Amino acid sequence: MPFVFPRPTAPVKPIRNFSIIAHIDHGKSTLADRFIQRCGGLADREMEAQVLDSMALERERGITIKAQTAALAYKARDGVTYRLNLIDTPGHVDFAYEVSRSLAACEGALLVVDASQGVEAQTVANCYTATEQGVTVIPVLNKIDLPSADPERVIAEIEDIIGIDAQDAIRASAKTGEGIDDILEAVIARIPAPAGDEDAPLQALVIDSWFDNYVGVVMLVRVMHGRLRPRDKILMMATGATYGCESVGVFTPKSVSRDSLSAGEVGFVIAGIKELKGAQVGDTITLVSRPAAAPLPGFKLVKPQVFAGLYPVEANQYEALRDALAKLKLNDASLHYEPEVSQALGFGFRCGFLGLLHMDIVQERLEREYDMDLITTAPTVVYQVLLRDGTLLEIENPSKLPDLSKVEEIREPIITVSILTPQEYVGPVLTLCTEKRGTQRNMQYLGRQVMLTYELPLAEVVMDFFDKLKSVSRGYASLDYEFREFRAADVVKLDILINGERVDALSVMVHRSVAQYRGREVAAKMRSLIPRQMFDVAVQAAIGAQIIARESIKALRKNVLAKCYGGDITRKRKLLEKQKAGKKRMKSVGSVEIPQEAFLAILKVGEK
Amino acid sequence: MTRILAPGSTAPPAFRALPPLSLYVHLPWCIRKCPYCDFNSHEWRRGGDGPPEDAYVDALVADLESALPSVWGRKVPTVFLGGGTPSLFSPEAIDRLLAAIRARLPLAAGAEVTMEANPGTFERERFEGFRDAGVNRLSIGVQSFSPRHLAALGRVHDAAEARAAVDAAVELFDEVNLDLMYGLPDQAVDEALADVEEALAFRTKHLSCYQLTLEPNTLFHRHPPPLPDEDEVDAMQSAIEARLERAGFDHYEVSAYARPGHRCMHNVNYWRFGDYLGIGAGAHGKVSSPDRVVREVRWKQPIRYLEQAIAGTPAMERREVAAGELGFEFMLNVLRLTEGVPATLFAERTGVPLAAIGRELGIATRRGLLDPDPSVLRATPLGRRFLNDLVALFLRDGAHAKEPA
Repeated sequence: MPFVFPRPTAPVKPIRNFSIIAHIDHGKSTLADRFIQRCGGLADREMEAQVLDSMALERERGITIKAQTAALAYKARDGVTYRLNLIDTPGHVDFAYEVSRSLAACEGALLVVDASQGVEAQTVANCYTATEQGVTVIPVLNKIDLPSADPERVIAEIEDIIGIDAQDAIRASAKTGEGIDDILEAVIARIPAPAGDEDAPLQALVIDSWFDNYVGVVMLVRVMHGRLRPRDKILMMATGATYGCESVGVFTPKSVSRDSLSAGEVGFVIAGIKELKGAQVGDTITLVSRPAAAPLPGFKLVKPQVFAGLYPVEANQYEALRDALAKLKLNDASLHYEPEVSQALGFGFRCGFLGLLHMDIVQERLEREYDMDLITTAPTVVYQVLLRDGTLLEIENPSKLPDLSKVEEIREPIITVSILTPQEYVGPVLTLCTEKRGTQRNMQYLGRQVMLTYELPLAEVVMDFFDKLKSVSRGYASLDYEFREFRAADVVKLDILINGERVDALSVMVHRSVAQYRGREVAAKMRSLIPRQMFDVAVQAAIGAQIIARESIKALRKNVLAKCYGGDITRKRKLLEKQKAGKKRMKSVGSVEIPQEAFLAILKVGEK
Repeated sequence: MTRILAPGSTAPPAFRALPPLSLYVHLPWCIRKCPYCDFNSHEWRRGGDGPPEDAYVDALVADLESALPSVWGRKVPTVFLGGGTPSLFSPEAIDRLLAAIRARLPLAAGAEVTMEANPGTFERERFEGFRDAGVNRLSIGVQSFSPRHLAALGRVHDAAEARAAVDAAVELFDEVNLDLMYGLPDQAVDEALADVEEALAFRTKHLSCYQLTLEPNTLFHRHPPPLPDEDEVDAMQSAIEARLERAGFDHYEVSAYARPGHRCMHNVNYWRFGDYLGIGAGAHGKVSSPDRVVREVRWKQPIRYLEQAIAGTPAMERREVAAGELGFEFMLNVLRLTEGVPATLFAERTGVPLAAIGRELGIATRRGLLDPDPSVLRATPLGRRFLNDLVALFLRDGAHAKEPA
C-alpha cells in the first residue's frame, strides 16, 4: 500500500529527483533521451536510440522493464547548475510494482500524455500511485507537433479523469525538441528539492538491485538521510548482513564513481554482495558505526500471478535450464521457479510470472541469451481449493487438482479491472467484459472517454483479454488491474488425451459454462498444430470421464527419398538435417511428436 | 601411436579389408535439360558441334591416372557410365574410354559395365557400337510411354522413339533396365500402371520406378506442375509394387525392381556402402584406405573440369569423413535395401564397431522402424515407408568432416 516519506524542511539543494509516468508509445523514452542529450550526459555519437531502455529486448519491444536512472547536469535560466536525477519507470501493467519503487525515490513526476491520444488507464493508475506517495505531478503534453494534437481536449481529460490541475501543462515534442527546456525549468521550479539531513545517521533505500558479471550485485539507492562513502561498513537492516562499501556513484547514464552519496541523492552502491538475496529491494542501508534507529518503510513482496511449466525439449538440458533460470533470477527478483515433474514432459520447472508479458520476456531471454529449446505449457492462475476436510490448497498447476470427490469448492482469483476507452467503443468493450464473466462495478463518462470498472476472473484476463480489448477498440482502450479476492467458481479441469493417454501438461482449468466450447476448439486447434505422423493420432478433450470432443490427425503416407546413389550423400544429409531441425521444437509425448505451439493451443482458441 | 579420444567420440575407422571398389564415369551433356533433373548435366548448344568427345575422353583418362595411386591393385567389379546422356557420345569415343579403363584398372572377369541411354533417333546402330565397345548393360531413361506425360516431363523423345530404343536394347543386351517415373503431372493411377504394363511387355530384367519429386534448383521446383495428391501417389506405388511382384520382380530397393539374379550390381555396391571411384565432371567418389574414408568431388563445370583434369588436379573437393558420420552414411545406404544387410557388414564397411551406433539402433528398434533381429540391419515395413525418419536418427550433431592432412 502507499506510503509517504517524511519530507522535513531543510536547506534547498540544487538537486531534483523525478520520474516520468507515461503509457507505452506516448514517448517517454524519446523524451528521456532528449533530456540526456540536452544535458550532455552522452556525446552525440553515444546516443544510441533510447539509451535508457538498455536491454536488447526492451529496445526491440519499445518498453522499459527495469528501472534505470540518469543523473543530468542542467544549467538553469537562473544561472545555477542543477543535478536532475531522472528515474525511469516501466509503462506496462505487468510491471506496476516497479513504478511504485521508482516513485519512492522521487519528489516529482512528469505525467506525459500523448496530445492526440489522450489519457490511458495505465497512466491513471500510476498517477494515483504518485499522488498517494506525495509526489508532485507535472502534466506534459507530448507529440504536440502532430497535426492531430488536441491539447485543450487532453487537458480537460487529465482534469476529468485524473483530477489534477492541468491548465499549465507543458506543451512539448520529444521528437522536435520543442518545450524540453520548459520541462526542465518546471522540474526545478515546481518539484521540491529533496529534504533530508546529511548529518543524520545513514538511511538509504534500495530501489533496485541487479547482478553484474564483473562487480557482483549493484544496488540503486535513494539516500534519505546521512552520507555514504566507499570503505564505509554498511548494514542491510532487513537481513542484518554487513558488507564493506566498495564504491558509490551515479549513472549519467554511464556509471560515474563519486566520493560519496548524500541525503537527497540517487545513485549506485557496490559492496561486494554476491547474491541478489543480500540486496533486497526495499531494504534500508545504514552504517555499522552509526546505525539509524529504524529502517525506512519498505515495499511489499510482489506475488506472481501467472504460472506455467517450462521444460527443456531435450531431457539432458534440464541442468542447463536450471542454471539459466538461476542466472535470470539474479536480475529479476519477481521470477519464481521450482522443480516439477510431468509425466508427459519429464523434468522441468513451474515458474511464476507477474503477467503474460513477463512470461514472454523470460521465455525469450532463455531462448536467446541461454540458447535453450523450451516447451512452455499454457499459463494458468493460482486456484484455491477447499477440501471437504477443511484444508485449503493453492494449486498452480491444473494437473495437481485433487480428486473432485474430496473437493468442497474451488476459488479463483478475481481482479478489479479499470478500463479507459473512447465512447464509441463502449458497446464492444462491455460485450467483451460480459463474455469474460465480468461484473460491472462502475461506469463513468469523462469527456470523450469512459472509465469502466469491472470485476473479472484473472484467468480470463490472462488468456487473451488484452488482445481482444485492443481489437474491439481498435487499440484505443487501455486497462489496469489489481487483485481483489479469491471467489468460489464453477471451474472444471479440461483434459486433453493424445491417442487415449491423458497428457498432464495439456490440462487447463476452465469455467463450466464454456468448457464444452473450449474443449472442442482446443481439440480442433491441436489438430491443426500437430503435424501428421507415421500413424493416426487421436486428440480428445475430456472433463472427468466424459469425452467432449474428438479430432483425428491422419497418418502420413511415407517419407522416403525416391533416389539415392553414390553422389548424393551430402545433399541427402542436408535434406535430412533440415527435416530433423524442423522437429527440434517438438516434444515426444508417448510416440507422438507435439510442437511447442500445441501446448499453448488454449491461448489460440478463436484465432483463425 | 595411441590416439586419445574425448568421451563419447568415435574412434577413427580401422579396416581389416577394404570394401569392393566400383568405377563411376560421369558424362555431363544432354540435348536438353529436363525440368525435374537436379543432376550435373549441361545442355550443349543446339546447332553446335556436340560435346568435345575427344578432349573429354582425354580428360577422363588423365583423371583416372591421377586417381590410380589411391586405388592401386584393387579389383573393379562394376563400371557405370552415367550422365547426362552418355549415349550422346559416339561408340568410338566409348570404345576408347573403356579400353583406357581396362588398361589401367583390373576389371573383374565378367564385370558389369552399364551405360545410361536416352531414346533418340537411329539408336540401334549406336547401341550395337556400345555393345562392341564392352558395354554389357543398358539403362534407358524412358520415364513414360504416354505422349502427354513425356511432354509434361519435357523429354526430347516421343513414345515411338522410346519403344524403338527399348526394342533395340533388348535385342542387343541381356541386361536392360528401364527407368520409369510415376506421380507425374495430372497422372491417374491406371495411367501409371499402363506405363508399367507396357514396360513389362519388353521382358527386360530390371525396372526402376521413381516417384517424381520436386528437387531444389530445378525448373519444376520454381514452377511446380499440378501433381497428384499423396493418396493417389500412394495408390500408384502400391499398384506398381503388386503388379511387378506378380510379374516375378523382386522389389529389392526403394525404387529398384529386378528378376532374380539381375540386380544392378553397381548400385547394390553403393547401397552396401562399398567404395567407388568417381571420374568426370561433378562425379562423386568415396574411397577407403586402412585408416580413413575420403570423399571427393570433381570440378562440376565441364570446361573447368577439362582444364583441371589435364593439369592433374581433377578434384574440386576432398574431405575425410569423420568417424561419427560413418554410421549415418552407412545406414542411409543399406536401409534402402529391402532385405537389409548382415549386421557384421557395418564394421566391415565403416571400419568402426557397430556399438558406435548402439544407442540409435535401440531407439530405431523401439519405434518399430528397425528389425529387432540383431544379426541383420533391416528396416521394418514401417521403417521402409518412413525411411527418412529412420535414417535421420543416425545423424549426429556436429560430426563434421575434417580436411585430410
